[in-house]
Amino acid sequence: MTKESRALQPAKSRGPSKLARGEERTALWLLLPSFLIIAVVALYPFGRVVLSSFTDERFAAGTDLRGEFVGVVNYQRLLSMTLRQVPAVVDVDTGERVLRDGQPTFENPRLFLRRLGTSLPLDAVATFRIGGNLWVLGATSASFIRSVWDTLVFTVSSVAIETVLGMIIALTLAAKFLGRGVMRAAMLVPWAIITVVSARIWEWMLQPTRAGFFNTLLNDLGVTDGSYAFFQTAALQVPAMVAIDVWKTTPFMALLLLAGLSTIPGELYEAAEVDGASPIRRFFSITLPLLMPTLAVALIFRTLDALRVFDLFQVVYGEARYSMASYAYYQLIAARNVGMSSAASVIIFVIIFAFALFYIRALGVDRDE
Amino acid sequence: MTSRRRLSKTVGQVLFWILIAVIFVYLIFPFYWALISALKTQSELIRTPATYFPENPTLQNFRAVFQNTAFLRGLGNSLIVAGSVTVLSLVVGAFAGFALGKLRFRGRTPSLYVILAMTMFPQIAVLAGLYAVIRTLGMPALPSLVLSYMIFTLPFTVWVLTAFFKGLPTTLLQAAQVDGASTMQTFVQILLPLTAPALVTTGLLAFIQAWNEYLFALTFTSIAPTARTVPVAIALFSGQISREQPFGEIMAAAIVVTIPLIALVLFFQNRIVEGLTAGAVKG
Repeated sequence: MTKESRALQPAKSRGPSKLARGEERTALWLLLPSFLIIAVVALYPFGRVVLSSFTDERFAAGTDLRGEFVGVVNYQRLLSMTLRQVPAVVDVDTGERVLRDGQPTFENPRLFLRRLGTSLPLDAVATFRIGGNLWVLGATSASFIRSVWDTLVFTVSSVAIETVLGMIIALTLAAKFLGRGVMRAAMLVPWAIITVVSARIWEWMLQPTRAGFFNTLLNDLGVTDGSYAFFQTAALQVPAMVAIDVWKTTPFMALLLLAGLSTIPGELYEAAEVDGASPIRRFFSITLPLLMPTLAVALIFRTLDALRVFDLFQVVYGEARYSMASYAYYQLIAARNVGMSSAASVIIFVIIFAFALFYIRALGVDRDE
Repeated sequence: MTSRRRLSKTVGQVLFWILIAVIFVYLIFPFYWALISALKTQSELIRTPATYFPENPTLQNFRAVFQNTAFLRGLGNSLIVAGSVTVLSLVVGAFAGFALGKLRFRGRTPSLYVILAMTMFPQIAVLAGLYAVIRTLGMPALPSLVLSYMIFTLPFTVWVLTAFFKGLPTTLLQAAQVDGASTMQTFVQILLPLTAPALVTTGLLAFIQAWNEYLFALTFTSIAPTARTVPVAIALFSGQISREQPFGEIMAAAIVVTIPLIALVLFFQNRIVEGLTAGAVKG
């Protein structure tokens, strides 16, 4: 009998009783189906994904081509990046920089990257100016790098906005007023709408003509001419996704925070009020610290969820703009490139895992007591 | 002095109600917009500027939706899939929840951690592997959806039910054992009926999650269009007549799949809020 098993026995008994042994056997039988299912739908597939991320496996018509082992080529392909200074256009005769409107002109960053003649062709992810120079970030899979960046921007901004809005809604609804039940019911409406459906509703509201709600409204307010193309304007593509996600998931945040608020004893506020603490002081000294555990869990849920975003991007943009997950999906289904898709999935997994670890460290979350 | 205080109180009240109104409109408006769009005629839908209220409300979009076989099949498929997922995860989850919440055995804590870790597992990380498993086994699309949805419904169900079982008095179990009942008899006849409320909550949440799921549904039905579920049907919705996106019909379809869910959620709202906040709030 091992040390651990003795520790599990009640202090009085000397050995495992027949009853305890029976209990142990029953428990294992009861757990078996759950762990079998988890093994089939999660552990084995994940192991396979990790393995095939090192192969050039592809789906061919109807049959699987078991790929050859290719090492880290897929990862190289997805992650190779280079930061280069784009050369300025120089006049052949004078040897001086060619100016246009007093600004130096530069070569086309794309053509410049192509001309570098790397073994894998480079594409531009982004260009930016530092000082008087133009820099370009090139990558072998520009669309994947962009998808990672877009997903991170999406995650940080939507979670931040959701937290602030959710807090405002929760604090408002924490007051007792007539119609509180109606408001709480209204909060469940966005949550209950299928994500794909909410994407399509917002797609319709954001139509590029005044048939759409936002263009009608903005035109009535005199902000735009009523033909603003939200989804076609590159700078607005990610913010549009954030807007939909915030609408859909703020209620979840607010509900969690509301539940957390209800556990804070009212006497604390009364005491603070007697001491003359302002409402803002009360929020930062009482509400926020006591709400921290709830907020931490809500943040983890929402962040990990936002990092996996797929439905919104796939429904609205298809292959025009990717989230990390929709990139991996299209690699699998459209390009039928199992190896690349798997490598992308593993990278996504690592990113999500890193976020989870970061939260657990930073916020000291421990959900098991 | 007192009148000034009364004034500031009134102003506060007004601001409070304005805030309530703004929140309410923000939460409800997209749903309202979908509803009025679904009720508009084709010509009113494409008219600019858009109207805030349908001039000649019509049910023609709803009629079109109920003649759309792809959509109707999607509804049927979704009901089958979400229903089976709910039953399967409740049965399997109740077993595990009972074992983890009430029984003493070696490996209990590691098992709990595995379950907890699984609740955070990203679906995309298993997509290609799961697809390969399904293709190798030659599994039909609907059962494979049911099985694969366990990846997100089961860990959550087990987690919540474990907490619930833990809360039931252990004396119940001991009394039954003293009376000579086996562990399983105690579980089925005494503890399980007591967990009915938790089963309703987790069952509802599992159903809603399965009803919502899109990534697996889209992937695993890509070669089996007849197995498409509601989210896939709505994402790929094509009109009966026009080649343009038929937003009137899409909005009607959106309303059709949303109303029952909202009704369900509102009817069970206390349970759902309880379930959503379970584990997040230490009460």
